[in-house]
Amino acid sequence: MIRYHIELALRSLRRNVVLTSLMIIGVSFGIGASMTVLTALRALSADPIPAKSARLFSVRIDNWGPDVPNNAAASDLLSYPDAMALMRAHQGIRQTVMYAPVFSVTPRSGDAIPFTATGRAISSDFFAMFEVPFAAGMPWSKADDDDRANVVVLGSKIAQRLFPAGDAVGKTITLGEQNYRVVGVLAQWRFQPRVYDLSSRLYQETEDIFLPLTTAAARRLFSYGGSYCDKPPSHDWDLMSRSECRWVGFWVELSSAAQRPAYLAFLRNYVAEQRRVGRFHWAANVALLDINETLQAEHIVPSEMKISTYAAFGFLTLCLVSATGLMLAKLGGRATEFSVRRALGASKAQIFAQCLAEGAFVGVAGGILGLGVTALGLAFERAILREDYARLIDLNANAVLTTVVLALVAVTLAATYPAWQSSRLAPAWKLKAE
Amino acid sequence: MLKMTHLSKVYRTEVVETYALRDFSIHVKEGEFVAVTGPSGSGKTTFLTIAGLLEEFTGGQYQLDGADVHGLNDNQRSRLRNQKIGFIFQSFNLIPDLNVFDNVDVPLRYRRLPGAERRKRINEALERVGLSARSKHYPAELSGGQQQRVAIARALAGGPKLLLADEPTGNLDTQMARGVMQLLEELHRDGATIVMVTHDPELAARAQREVRIVDGQVIDLAAPARLIGESAPQPGA
Amino acid sequence: MPIIRALRHRKIGAVLIGLQIALTIAILANSLSVVQQRIAHMRRPTGLDEADIFTMANQFSGSMTDLSARIQADLARLRAIPGVVDAVAVHSFPLRGYGGSTGVTRTSDLKASSVNAAEYSFPERTLQTWGLRVIAGRNFTATEFKEQPVGTDWAPPPVVIVSQALAKALFPRGDALGKDIYLTSSAPTRIIGIVERAQTPWAANESVLFGAENAVLEPIQTVSPSIAYVVRTRPGRNAALLAVAQQQLYTLSRARIISEAQTFAETRAERYRSDRSLILILAVVCLLMMMVTVLGIVALTAYWVVQRRKYIGMRRALGARRADVLRYLQTENLLIAGFGAVLGVVMGLAGNAWLASAFEMTRFSAAYIIVAAIMLLLLSQIAVLWPALRAAMLPPVAAIRGH
Repeated sequence: MIRYHIELALRSLRRNVVLTSLMIIGVSFGIGASMTVLTALRALSADPIPAKSARLFSVRIDNWGPDVPNNAAASDLLSYPDAMALMRAHQGIRQTVMYAPVFSVTPRSGDAIPFTATGRAISSDFFAMFEVPFAAGMPWSKADDDDRANVVVLGSKIAQRLFPAGDAVGKTITLGEQNYRVVGVLAQWRFQPRVYDLSSRLYQETEDIFLPLTTAAARRLFSYGGSYCDKPPSHDWDLMSRSECRWVGFWVELSSAAQRPAYLAFLRNYVAEQRRVGRFHWAANVALLDINETLQAEHIVPSEMKISTYAAFGFLTLCLVSATGLMLAKLGGRATEFSVRRALGASKAQIFAQCLAEGAFVGVAGGILGLGVTALGLAFERAILREDYARLIDLNANAVLTTVVLALVAVTLAATYPAWQSSRLAPAWKLKAE
Repeated sequence: MLKMTHLSKVYRTEVVETYALRDFSIHVKEGEFVAVTGPSGSGKTTFLTIAGLLEEFTGGQYQLDGADVHGLNDNQRSRLRNQKIGFIFQSFNLIPDLNVFDNVDVPLRYRRLPGAERRKRINEALERVGLSARSKHYPAELSGGQQQRVAIARALAGGPKLLLADEPTGNLDTQMARGVMQLLEELHRDGATIVMVTHDPELAARAQREVRIVDGQVIDLAAPARLIGESAPQPGA
Repeated sequence: MPIIRALRHRKIGAVLIGLQIALTIAILANSLSVVQQRIAHMRRPTGLDEADIFTMANQFSGSMTDLSARIQADLARLRAIPGVVDAVAVHSFPLRGYGGSTGVTRTSDLKASSVNAAEYSFPERTLQTWGLRVIAGRNFTATEFKEQPVGTDWAPPPVVIVSQALAKALFPRGDALGKDIYLTSSAPTRIIGIVERAQTPWAANESVLFGAENAVLEPIQTVSPSIAYVVRTRPGRNAALLAVAQQQLYTLSRARIISEAQTFAETRAERYRSDRSLILILAVVCLLMMMVTVLGIVALTAYWVVQRRKYIGMRRALGARRADVLRYLQTENLLIAGFGAVLGVVMGLAGNAWLASAFEMTRFSAAYIIVAAIMLLLLSQIAVLWPALRAAMLPPVAAIRGH
C-alpha cells in the first residue's frame, strides 16, 4: 500500500509541475534559511571539548574587594601571585596557569620579513587538559616547567611555515634574542570557541607557540592578552608580577564534577589564609566555572546571530503556512479523484495516507533542494560575517541530515490539514456530473 | 442479492425534514438486470447511493448479498464497496492522472491483491470491454464511449456481486450509448446482477425489469414495461 | 456583504494567506527597525577625519635600547613622504578594537562613583593628525608633552583634554573646563580642553549612552615596542600611500613587523562587520519572505479562479464587465490582506516589545509597522493581479462549458 501511495504521489507531483515546484522552492528557501543560521549558531555555541567540559574549571578569585569601583564580580583572570599559589597547591588532578605573550619570528630563509606569532605561556598539564593533539614530539616535562627550560611546542601552521620539511622537532628557533628548542609540533588543533582565553576573540585560531610560563616569566615577557588593574598599572615586569593586576588565567581539571565542592572549599581556605596574612579584608568571593558555564557567562552567541535566527525561523513558518495553502489548492483540485477512490473502496485512512505521501515527497525534495540553498546561504554568510566566525561555518553531515529530516517533518505537518480535509470528502459527492 | 425493506432516508436541516425515500422496498435477485426510473428528484440517486453504500440510511433494512449492512462503520463499508460493488458513473469519473490500466487497477489496489493477480484481472477486464490495446492511454485521449468502457472494466475487474450504473449513457451520443448498452446486456447475459438508474424509457425498456420511483416510494413493480417499450427497437435484433 | 459570505467557503485558504501576510509584516517591521538602528549605530562618527587617514600596527624587534629614537626616525620618514600631511605614534585610536581604559572620578576618593573612559596617549601633533575639533579650552603646549617609556612606573599627567561626552558625564552642568579630575590616582589632573568627539577603541560594541564617546587624551608619547602609526594624507591619497609607507618603514629597518595596515574606512568596515552582516541577512530574509508570500497569493488565487470558473462565467453571462470581475477579486484580496495586516500589526508590536526587552533595543515607532503593512497590502494587490486578469479574460460561455 505504501508503495502505491508513493507511486501516486510521484505521479501527481509530475502532473502539476508549477504548483509542485512552487511548494518545493518555497520549502527549500525556508529550510535553507533556517539551516544557514542554525549551522552558524551551532558552530558558535558548540562545546569545544564535550568529553571533559564538566570537569575543566576556570578559577576566579576576587583579589580587589568590594571597595574597588568597577570590580567586575569575578574576572576570568587572576593576579600573578594568586595563580602561582594555586599552581603550587596542586589541588586538582591537572592544572595550568596561562597568559598570552606575542613573538616576532624571523624565518631563517633569505630576507623573509619577520611576522608576529601568537603565544601561550602555560604549564605542561595544559596539553593533556585540553586534549591537544600532537603530530610529532611531545609536551615538555614537569622538570622543564621547574627548570624554566627554553623549550617550545609549535602549532601546525607555524611549524609548516618555518620547517616546510616537517622536521621541526629537535630544531632551534629564535624568538626575540633567545633560542628555544622545539620539543613538539601540534597536529591541526581546532578548539572553538577558544574558551580558555576570554579576553581576546573567542573564535580566534589556537596559538602558534606554546612555552612554559616559568620560562616566559624568567624572560619577562609581557602579556598581550587582557590585563585589568585596580590601580594604574606598572610597565615594569617585576612590579606587575607582584601587583594585584589580573592578567593570568588559571584552569584546573578535577577527577569528576563531584569534586567541585571540595575544590571550592580549598579556594575559600586560600582566601581565608590571605586574610590572615593581611592581604585581603573581605569575605571570600571565589567561583569555579566549568566550560559550559564559562561560555554562558560570556554570552558567546552574538545578538546578531540570535536575531537572524528568529528571522529565519519566522521565515520557515511562513514557508510552511504557504506550503499548507498550496497543498490545499493542489488537493482541492482533485476532489473528484478522492470521491471516486472512496466510492471504489478506499478508506479515509488510505486517502489521508495518499495525500500525506505527497506532502512527504514535497518535504524530501524541498529538503534536498534546501541543502543547496543552505550551501549558498553559508557561502553568503562566510562572505559577510566577521572572519573569525566565518571560519567556523561549514555544512557537516549532521546538518545535512537535520535539513532533510526537518523539511520532511515540517512539510508533512503542513500537509496534515489539507490531507485530512481531502480524506473527509464524501464518496458520493461527485457521483453525478455537476 | 439486494434487498431493501421499509427503508427510509431523511435529510434533516435546521428547519425541515425531507424524506428522500419513504417505506422503500425492493428486491433484486442474483442475475437480474433492473432499471430504476422516475422523474427528477424522485429519489433515484438517493436509492443508488444507499445501495452502493455511499450513504447511510435512516430506517428500515438493507441486505446486500445476504448480509445486513446497517450500522457498519466507514471502513467496513469501504471494504464492502470494494469487494461487492462495481460502479458505473454517468460522468465516467476516471482519474485523469492515471492511464487506462492504472484506472482499472484502483479498486484492486485497495484490495491489496498481489501484482500478478491484479495484472491478470485488469487484462481480462480490458479485454472484456474490448480496450486491451488502449491500456497505456490516458482518459483525455479516449472518446466518451471508450472512457465509459474503461469505467465498466474498472467496475468488473474486482469481480463484484452487483453492478450499479447511474445514467451510464447520459453523457454519450446515441451511437456510443448503444455500444455501452450492448456491453451491459452482454454482461447480464453472462450472469451479472445489474441495477441501472436512468430516466430514459428506451433504455429502461431494455432491462429485464423496471422499477419506478416517485416521491421516494416504489410505486410499480411491473414486469418489463411493455406498455412503454412496445415500440422500442429490440436489443440485438 | 455577499463578498464576505462568499469568502466563508474558502475560509482556510483565506486564513492561510492572511497569516502569511501577518507574519511577513511582523518580521518586516521588526527587521526594518533593527536595520535602521544598526545603520544609525554604524554611521556614528569617531571624531577623526576618517577619509584621509590610514593606520599601521608596528612591532619592533631587535635592539630595544633606542626605542624612542627609532619611533622618531619612523615618524620623520613617514612625514617626508610626499602627500603625507602628518603622522603620529600612539598606543591606540578610535575603533582600533583594543586599547586602554581608566576610571575617572571627580574627587580623590577612589571609592566614589567613577566614569569609565578610553585612555589615549596623545603625543604632539595628534590633534591635527586625527582632526579632532576643540570646542572649549586649548590644545596641549609643547612643554606639556612627556615620554612614557615601557617598563617605567606610570603617573597621571597634570593636564588632559577630555571628550565632550566625558565632560558632560562628569560635570553635567557644563563647567568641566579647568576642573580637576582623578585618574585612579590621588594626584589631580586638570582639564585644559574639550574636544567635540573622540570615540573609544571599542565604540563599535557600545552605545553612546554607555560611554562610546568617553575619552581622556593624555599628553604622553608612548615608547613601546608595540605602537600604532596614524598617518594623515592629502585628500584622496590615503589608500595609495599605504603601500608606500610600509615600504619606506621596511627600508628604514627590517627589524619590525607591520600589521593591520589599512585605511580608516577599512578599519571601520571591519569593526562594524557584524552589524553589516546582520543587515544583509535580514534584508535577504525579508526579500525571500515577500517573494514567498506573493507566490502563495498568486497560486491560491489562481486555484480559486479555476475553482470558480463557472461562477465567474455566470456573472459575466449575467452582465458583469471584465472590470467588475477584476474588481471583485481585488476586493476579496484586500479583505483578506486587510485581516492579515491587522493581525500583522498586533504580532509585529508584540514581537517588537519582546525584542526590545531581550536585546536592549529601543522600541520602534508606529511608522515602521505602518510602512510594512502598506507594503504588504500593495504587494498583495499586485500578486492578485495576474490571476485576476486571467479570470477577467474568462468568456461568459465558461459558465456552460464546465471544466
